[in-house]
Amino acid sequence: MITDSDMDAIFHALAHEARRRILDLLRDKPGQGVGELAQGFDVSRIAIMNHLAVLEKAGLVISEKDGRVRRLYLNAAPIQMIHDRWTDEYSAFWAGRVTGLKYAAEAAAQKAKTGKDAT
Amino acid sequence: MTSTTGDTPLPQSATAERAYYKVVIEAPIETVWNTLVKTDEVLPFFFGAVCRTPNGLAPGEPMAMQSKDGKYTSVVGTVLEFDPPHRYAHTMMFTNMDDPPSTVIYELKEVDGGTEFTLITENVPAGTKSEKSMAQGGPFITGNLKALVETGRPLMSGRMVTMLGPVMGLFTPRVCRSENWSFDRIRGL
Repeated sequence: MITDSDMDAIFHALAHEARRRILDLLRDKPGQGVGELAQGFDVSRIAIMNHLAVLEKAGLVISEKDGRVRRLYLNAAPIQMIHDRWTDEYSAFWAGRVTGLKYAAEAAAQKAKTGKDAT
Repeated sequence: MTSTTGDTPLPQSATAERAYYKVVIEAPIETVWNTLVKTDEVLPFFFGAVCRTPNGLAPGEPMAMQSKDGKYTSVVGTVLEFDPPHRYAHTMMFTNMDDPPSTVIYELKEVDGGTEFTLITENVPAGTKSEKSMAQGGPFITGNLKALVETGRPLMSGRMVTMLGPVMGLFTPRVCRSENWSFDRIRGL
């Protein structure tokens, strides 16, 4: 199963705000190149490439060469394995219900506050 | 939680970006391959379905993912590539959805300590129910295949679908009945 050193790499990668944002951006737009990704940040392209190296080492990002561009994809499988380690039939059901309720309530509160649909 | 699956329907021809699901499985490449391409046996990592074919898995051959009793067919497709033990690709279509077929590619690579297994989905019709199902299927298949090969037992998600298998028939629409999905019809898709 997932080893402790795998987990160390994953949690280390997830421990930085910029790297978590990179994962958000890749989830929302898979296959983008490094240049396009870097546009979403104030830091240098080199800094982004360093973050990408950490994410790739943890297996959270997959890159594929496509001609001259390096296309980037999110790999959600390691996060799924962390989830599985602490979840069983029973807790997955209730944790799902509780988080579902939390998201629904927060969206409703947001809507009441701004009068708009939270997306 | 935002995703690329918007509410606005996209034109029929639009397909989603490729998606990757990758794990390292602590087992020899042959073991992973042989588990992946098993036919006529319940496969927990394929949602408890049995992969049935008329003449085995070879390029151009049709395949059907069926319930254990053979009554229902959930997924149909055609084998595109079969290159043991490294690469296997097939088209796939959900029988209960009206969407064009997607492509699934499985890549196996020997690495230190085991086998790197990558599931890639391509040509998934964007903004459809099929796209959602494929996105849920990716982590399910990779996670359950890894657990099954390493421990002899699927994850709890895999155990649950296997447990639910006999019950699912009751909720399965008529269109999924296997008599509607002969291998000849699958060939013609």
